[in-house]
Formats: sequence, C-alpha cells, structure tokens
Amino acid sequence: MSDLALRLPDRRRLVGLAVPFVAVVGSMLVGLLLIAASGKSVPDAIEAFLDGAFGTSFAIGASINRAVALALVGLGFILAFRANLTNVGGEGQIAVGGIAATALGLWSPVADLPLGLAVLVPLLGGTLAGAFWGGIAGVMKVRFGTNEVISTLLLGFIALLMVYWCVQSTALLRQPQTSSATLPESLPVPGPVKLPGLTGDPESPLHIGLVICLVLALATAVVLQRSTFGLRLRAIGLNELAARRAGMPGGILLVVALALAGAFGGLAGAIMLQGEQYYLKTGFSSGYGFDGLVVGLLSRGSTLGVLAGALFFGFLRSGGISMEIMAGVPAALTLVIQGLIVIAVAGSVILVERLQGGR
Amino acid sequence: MEETLAIFIASTLRLGMPLMLAASGELVSERAGVLNLSLEGMMLTAAFFGALGSWATGNPYLGVACAIAASVVVSAAQAWLSVNLRANQLVVGIGFNILALGATTLLYRIIFGGLSREEIPGLPKLAVKGLSDLPFAGPAFFQQSVIVYAGLALIVLIWVVLNHTSFGLAVRAVGDEPRSADKAGIPVALTRWKAVLITGFMAGVAGAFISIADIHTFTENMTNGAGYLALAAVIFGGWNIGRTVAACLLFGAATALQFQLPAMGINVPTAFLLMLPYLLALLAVAGIVGRLEPPTSLTLPFQRGK
Repeated sequence: MSDLALRLPDRRRLVGLAVPFVAVVGSMLVGLLLIAASGKSVPDAIEAFLDGAFGTSFAIGASINRAVALALVGLGFILAFRANLTNVGGEGQIAVGGIAATALGLWSPVADLPLGLAVLVPLLGGTLAGAFWGGIAGVMKVRFGTNEVISTLLLGFIALLMVYWCVQSTALLRQPQTSSATLPESLPVPGPVKLPGLTGDPESPLHIGLVICLVLALATAVVLQRSTFGLRLRAIGLNELAARRAGMPGGILLVVALALAGAFGGLAGAIMLQGEQYYLKTGFSSGYGFDGLVVGLLSRGSTLGVLAGALFFGFLRSGGISMEIMAGVPAALTLVIQGLIVIAVAGSVILVERLQGGR
Repeated sequence: MEETLAIFIASTLRLGMPLMLAASGELVSERAGVLNLSLEGMMLTAAFFGALGSWATGNPYLGVACAIAASVVVSAAQAWLSVNLRANQLVVGIGFNILALGATTLLYRIIFGGLSREEIPGLPKLAVKGLSDLPFAGPAFFQQSVIVYAGLALIVLIWVVLNHTSFGLAVRAVGDEPRSADKAGIPVALTRWKAVLITGFMAGVAGAFISIADIHTFTENMTNGAGYLALAAVIFGGWNIGRTVAACLLFGAATALQFQLPAMGINVPTAFLLMLPYLLALLAVAGIVGRLEPPTSLTLPFQRGK
C-alpha cells in the first residue's frame, strides 16, 4: 500500500485506530456483562464462541466466507464514501445480485459452459445487476437531486421484496410445486455453477471468493490512492462545485461511484449464493448489507481496515451462532455488540477531530 | 360484499395506525432537520417495554407508559448524538436499529424464556355509543381501543403545533435555515432536542399500539419494518402532515389488500402490494409524483460560527 500507511504511526493515526479499538473492546465487555447478568456461564459462552469461530476447519472456512461478503460490501461503501456518498443499499444490492446469479445459474446453457465460465457468468451477472441497482440511485441523484441515502434505502426494500416475489412465483424462480409442502425457494444451482473450494480439505467450505475479494481489495486500494479516478472521487466529495469548475465530469463520477458500490454488493450476493447457499430464499441477504456498511464505516476509508473489520464481524457472527447452540446464550447478543460499536464510533467523530488537533 | 368492505376498512386503519403515529412524530423531527432512521428501533423498543410493563404490572395503561418512556430514552440518546455530538444521523440510526433488535430479542429470551407467546393484558375496546353501529366504517372507527382515539388526538395536536404555534415556526426555521434561526435568537439545539423527543414520544405510542392494543403479545422483531414504512410515508407525504397521514392510510390499505384481494378472487402478487409503498416513495423522491422538497438542512448538524 502507500508509503504513507507504512510510515510510523503518528498521533493522528493512533487516535484514528484507537477509537474503533476501544469501541470494539468496550462493546465486547458489555456483551460479557450481559452474559453474566443473564445467569449463563461466561467461560462456557467464551469457549462456545471460540469453538464456533475458530474450532474446526469448517468453522474457520465458514467465518472467512462470511467475512468475504462483508468485505465486498464494505469496499463498495468506502469507494462511494470517498465521493461523499453514503450507500445504505448494500442489502438490496446483495439481493439483486443473488437473484441474477440464481437466474443465470439455473439457465441450462450457462451451466453447460466450459472453462469455468459456468461460474464466471452468474458472478458477472450478479455484479452487473448490483451495479444497475446502485446506478439507479446515482442517476436519481444527478438527475433529480435525490438524496442517495433515501433512494438506496428505498431501493433496498424494493429489492428484498423482489426476492420474495421471485421465490413465491413459479413463473419466476420458485421451484416446481410438486406438493403443498414445496417450500417457496428456488431450485439449487447445479454443480458447475458452484464456486470451487480453495483448499483440498473436503471439511472446509472456504471457496475462491476469498481470492476474488483480496484481488478486489488490492485494486480498490490502488484506485483510491494512486489513480486519477480516486483523486477525482475525493475532489467531488470534498467540493462538488469546485470539482465541476475544474472540468471534472461531476454527474458521471457520482453515478459511477454509486454503480461501483452496487457492483460490489451484487458480487457479494452472487458469491453468497454460488458459494454457500446455492438456492434463493426470502431473507437470503440476512443483514450482510447493513453489516457491510458498518464494516465500511469502521474502516474510516482504509482498505486494510475493511478487511480487518470484515474478518472481525465474520468471526463474531459464527461465534455468536455457536454460542446460542452450545451455551444457550442468544445470538442476538452479537447484534447488541454490533449496535454499540456503530453508535460509539459514529458518536466519537468530534472527539477524534479534537484529539487529532482539528481539521 | 358489505362485510368484506367493513373488514377492509378496519384492517386498513389497524395497519395504518402505527404508521400514522410514528410518521407524524418523525415529521416534527425532520422539519427540524433531524432524520431518525432509528424510528424502527424506537418502535420496537416501545413494543417490547410496553408488553413487559403490561405483563409485569397487569395494567395495560402502565404498559403504555413504559413503552413511551423507553422510546423517549432512545430518542434522547439519538438527539444527544445528532445534535450535540454532531454524529452522522443515518449511521447512528442504523446502529440503534441493530441495537434495539438485539437487545429486545435478548431480553425477551431471558425474561419470557424461549419462544413462549405469553398473552399480555391488552387495552379494552371502547365503543362510541350510536356511532359504532354505523354500516361499513362504524366498527372500524368507533369501536377501537382508547389508544386509537388518543393517538388521533395527538396527531391533530401535532398539526396544530407545527402550523399554528411559535414553536412550530421555530421547528421549521431550524430545519430550513438554522443559521438565520440562530441569528434571530431561536435556540437551534434546544428546538431540535424537543422535536426529536416528540418523535420518541409518538414512536412510543405507535409501539404500544402494536404490542398492547393490537397483537397482545411481543414477538421478536415484531415491528418488522413499520418504522421504515413510516419514514417512507413522510417522504411520500412531502413533509406535510396531512399528506403524510394520507400516505400512511394508503400504505395501510396496500398492506390490507394482500389479505382482501385473494378472498375476492383477484390475483395480484402479494410482493407487489408490499412493494408498492416503497415504490411510491421512491417515485416521490425522484419528483415523478409531484415535486417534493425536503427541509433544507435535513441530516445536517448545526455548529455556530462554522
């Protein structure tokens, strides 16, 4: 990454890193207190958490797969945020990505494609669908001046209901109804469409999504820090009018920024579908879009921060599920911890600026 | 047919009521320039503490008081973060929603244990003599729990306060031009604080309606997006109280239709009806259904001298 990041951490950087760290540690302590208050054994809960997060190669693989989806949404978030655009629609972008990947994956000509194209085409389809969904918000912003927060949020709800629609109707993606017990889900995508595993270990669900994610993270870092495009995004984010006067294509940049954020979300959706879930069902995005936003926010615009945050939340989710099954502590506890972290980090912005000596 | 219509009107009102309460409260806050995405979390918190209070004391009216108190506490935290700490209102709102979902689910499992759907003491329905027997709309409008009548009165009160009092003028001033308002001697921070607390109060009534008056129990994530729907209604209503209330009734009707249309043999996809409110709101913010202008300083924190 840039030499700036490799230089010894100065006071500003330390403060910038300390806030998320304190928020995370403090929120987890609150979590432990809540476990104790509910009368459950804290050591048992911690053991169950660690076991579910890191205990087996299955657990580690599943946690990293979760982190991949979160990281992709987070990377999209920081890209758009560089242009001062807040993309709240990750959840919906995952949903449209999942729909597109399912539709393409279940279409027999695609599944028969050679050379791994059966994997790539649905991934690309999901990415494009996400880009389109994000792009709508961009066009609305430029054309009608619509606040992207409101539009991406509303588009998110519409997309979630589109998933519901797709799996409720046999004319769309619902599996053929053979009996009244047929669930409102799509058929599973065929074998060639599924993402290949990364390790030879048949126990580990870890798939090539990790490689895709790391490559894109590197690309994002380079684009944000080394490219004209990254500089223009920042310029338009700092002062749109000035950037336009300097001859930058303001409108197009804003649309591209939101479309890129959407593309990352759509890709995350396709990876979730082709990598682990294999069939579409209602609620398939299960909060990854909002968690990904949180990851993007916590990273304060740093690509490495996104990866670290995504890993943290990926393992937190896995551990939380295991804690519920093995120690009887509701997995909702991880939501409490997440909520506290978000509020603490968002609330400490002035404090950070003051400690960093103002900006 | 007559019966179907009566049921439709009743369910429209039942589904629209929490939206109207929450949206009219949120409207005050947004006119003052503070957007509370946490509306959903406030309502969910209120629904839980309302159910808890009603269950613990055996008195549904104390339950309503608990619901309002809990929601006002959340709104106070939101106000402190939005107004004093100048935090990103959207991010804080999302944080509160995650926290409220986690905390209510956790407390529900701990206190009520597992998934027992224990019935809580609910509010009785009061019939207005002479009017409740009217055809079609009689039972829907005049045979309701007391919270419905009180809620409708509160909505009218908000309309009066917003449009016909100096406080209402101050609210609109700090939402549009906080700098000018500050120069004119209007306390920007205090006005915004009050507006957000009003939102919390109304969200509390809305949450209490859902758990205590309507469903008579608490279930995990029972608001299920009603807060976001109320936000969409404020947008679709163009930040005007009359249109916002109408939007809530329209959204309530769209939701009610999903049960009515199949019964009448009309085949419209449920998903489309559920999507309709968000679609309408999206068209509204795009300016396709009439040009709408949000308060100029919506989501922008105010700092004197900057």
